[in-house]
Amino acid sequence: MNYETVIGIEIHCELKTKTKMFSSAPTSFGEVANTCVNEIDLGHPGTLPCVNKEAVRLALLAATALKCEIDPLIKFDRKNYYYSDLPKGFQITQQFHPIGSGGNISIDTPNGKKNIRINRMHMEEDTAKQFHSDAGTLIDFNRAGTPLVEIVSEPDIRSGAEAMAYVEKLRALLYYLGVSDVKMEEGSMRCDVNVSLREVGTQKLGTKTEVKNLNSISNVQKAIDAEVARQSALLDQGERVIQATRRYDETQKTTVLMRKKEGDVDYKFFPEPNIPPILLSDAWIKEIQDGMEELPDERKERYQSQFALNDYDADVLVANRELSNFFDEVCLHTKNYKKAANWTIVEVIAALNKANIKIADNPCNPVYLAVMINMVDNGEISGKQAKEVFEEIMLGKDPQKVVEEKGMKQMSDSSELLTLVTSVLDNNPQSIEDFKNGKDRAVGFLVGQVMKA
Amino acid sequence: MDIKTNTLESVETRIQKAIDKAHASQDKLNAVVSFIDPCEQIENLKAIDKSAPLYGVPMALKDNINTKGILTTASSRILDNYVPVYDATIVKKLQQAGAISIAKASMDELGMGGTNKNAYRGEVHNAWDTSRISGGSSGGSAVLVASGVVPFAIGTDTGDSVRKPAAFNGVIGMKPTYGRISRYGIIPYASSLDHVGYFTTAIEDAALLLEVLAGRDDQDMTSSYRKVETYASNINADITGKKIAIIDNVQEGVEDSEIKANFQALMDKLVARGAIVEHIRFQDNLMQALFPTYYILANAEATANHSNLDGIRFGMREDGESVEDVMIHSRTKGFSSYVRKRFVAGSYSLFVENQEKVFRKAQKVRRLIVEEVQKKLDNYDVIIASASGNIAPLSENSADEALSNESMVTENHMIIGNFGGFPSITIPTGFVEGMPIAINMSANAFDEQVLFNIGKAIEEETKLKGNDSEVKA
Repeated sequence: MNYETVIGIEIHCELKTKTKMFSSAPTSFGEVANTCVNEIDLGHPGTLPCVNKEAVRLALLAATALKCEIDPLIKFDRKNYYYSDLPKGFQITQQFHPIGSGGNISIDTPNGKKNIRINRMHMEEDTAKQFHSDAGTLIDFNRAGTPLVEIVSEPDIRSGAEAMAYVEKLRALLYYLGVSDVKMEEGSMRCDVNVSLREVGTQKLGTKTEVKNLNSISNVQKAIDAEVARQSALLDQGERVIQATRRYDETQKTTVLMRKKEGDVDYKFFPEPNIPPILLSDAWIKEIQDGMEELPDERKERYQSQFALNDYDADVLVANRELSNFFDEVCLHTKNYKKAANWTIVEVIAALNKANIKIADNPCNPVYLAVMINMVDNGEISGKQAKEVFEEIMLGKDPQKVVEEKGMKQMSDSSELLTLVTSVLDNNPQSIEDFKNGKDRAVGFLVGQVMKA
Repeated sequence: MDIKTNTLESVETRIQKAIDKAHASQDKLNAVVSFIDPCEQIENLKAIDKSAPLYGVPMALKDNINTKGILTTASSRILDNYVPVYDATIVKKLQQAGAISIAKASMDELGMGGTNKNAYRGEVHNAWDTSRISGGSSGGSAVLVASGVVPFAIGTDTGDSVRKPAAFNGVIGMKPTYGRISRYGIIPYASSLDHVGYFTTAIEDAALLLEVLAGRDDQDMTSSYRKVETYASNINADITGKKIAIIDNVQEGVEDSEIKANFQALMDKLVARGAIVEHIRFQDNLMQALFPTYYILANAEATANHSNLDGIRFGMREDGESVEDVMIHSRTKGFSSYVRKRFVAGSYSLFVENQEKVFRKAQKVRRLIVEEVQKKLDNYDVIIASASGNIAPLSENSADEALSNESMVTENHMIIGNFGGFPSITIPTGFVEGMPIAINMSANAFDEQVLFNIGKAIEEETKLKGNDSEVKA
């Protein structure tokens, strides 16, 4: 039978703040266990939450980028459940009044652009990390209280490839805004996908499963493809899909049952009494939105309209924020945008790869690269010489000095050049004679003499 | 006794006297959970100016106020070994003001109760008659002030947990406006209703203490930025033209003729002093709803607030096969059945299928009650009523579990102060059968000054300043 795949995605993203969502303890990754905690993170009696303004700012940026409607009245709620990784016995989240709702994001598919609607985006706090072993359970509370945003899509996604494109797009967006590290492998971005199938042409949603613990973007697609295959095989055999939480097993390349869902858990949500509603001023919201960095889509659009870059070049640049920022710097000092793009995409990347340097640590001064490009355009140096100069620029050197030191400045004044040639010819009558007698090599000698001069 | 007396004594002598008294009365009253060695605090006084408002004054703290390095049990078994890693904000403020804490005072478990019989270390007895209850939940604090051990003690008030035991023990019980005093570091009961309050035996002391305790704390988002006033030096007992409203719904439930007469006599005196005393009546159905509404809201918040007590990170741990078992066993053993019953009630009201018709409805009723009260307070400086229709009940006759419709309004009206966050004070006004009786007044938010001013006038009329059970004995 022919099935349509229906996918909705929930993404948890750690916000890049110095301190936690509701406490002044530092956020951390890879620190010694239980060193980045205070009494609030450990849920000690008598502690009270205090909202991190920077977290609200970042959430506001993200919600704006996702074209969500912003609720300027910030409210928090308690989500109650007992679990040993949840110190207070409840999580502070935004159940009833998410900061953002009703947004959308455009993804690229083989059939062109597609809009994925965002249901909501809300702020909350992370839980502790648990390590289970035969000896018992170890708990590291460093992560407890780390600020998160949860972004919930509408079930608009129709394939593993679209899901991957969606996650990739969100990842780039949040990274661009400096909202999050978005490292899936380190857990600063976590992705849960809800997958169900229905007969093509029908409207009723089928029973869904939730696949958790996807630690890379490619696994998002692989897991969905595997789950779709599993569900369609079941349906083809006349069996039914059981609502459950599953995880993707990379070695088996299949999804594995984690737990069945016996009805919804009642989290007994209610408004957090210790955080009075906070009304964000219009001025503050505007200040943040106005100061917002250019988003990838806008940037690509600018590259194509202003710099006349082709689709490919624009994509490659935009895909990497640092590289793109570098390119923009170069373009402030040269008008040859096409060449600037080529040098950035091809030579800079290659040189960095060769030296095993991250793009963020790029030693190349964008002004120098622009100067070098201009030198080539002005005929001061040849394209071949430029490659040599570039190697020195990548070591942080000024191209004008390099050209001077190496004496490679190309003479571009033609009258001066003419004087030089005449004098060489005058001093080498034999070579002229040889050339006239058919010895082509004589020209090479003469050229050499001019270059030496 | 008031805070400023005894200033000729050395601090050491004064503190030692208080500690000796506390020890001497412990067998009789059982008001103390832990005694605090004051040496370090006295040492720390060297860094504090002698003119500090509470320099060298002994005090007691309710045992739900976190004291770094000092056992803080909240009278619950699950916290019977809990030593906080941090000080409550008010503890720091009191220390900076020069106060010396000598004891952690008993309370009803986690603040739940009005008798102080529901305490893991046992019942607290009334300072005036040990066969009677102290009232709760801040019973230990009330009794330590009422028996002359300390000139003031800190309590907390979620329903009337400062103001009721104050009434039963003949001392002043003050609960300022919600947000006036930081709650950071106070083991909660129900966050939207919890207030820090305190006991004194003089109005001036109550005013002075508020100057020390009040103020914005960035660690408590519900604390107010409003400037702290110089309440003590502003006290003015001239109450000419002050508008005082007697809550008829409450007074109608007062059956004891002596209490009635005492109340009326006091009102006459206030009128004689130039106050305008009138009668008001709140909607009866709203007054009848006070306690059930309180019960739902307080327990719903409490069940979440105390979910952190699971034996995993601190407190009593009862082992089990898995982490889940540890949590279940610790909680089963760590709480009294009375508290567990309240957790069940709280949870019930929050379930998805009940939330609208129980919890949300209770929130709406709370709002209606507050609006009703505010409407009256728009026209009056204070509302006034008897703090209780009775003297402290005999211990054998009282249990928190017994609920009755009888005197439902009269015995629970002080909840109004918690619902609306209104400042509210209980002041002793006399004796019936040798036991203290009291009135309670509430004012508009942040108008603590009017309570102190009218309170001063009352104190002058009753001449009960410095009232404690030693005076009687």
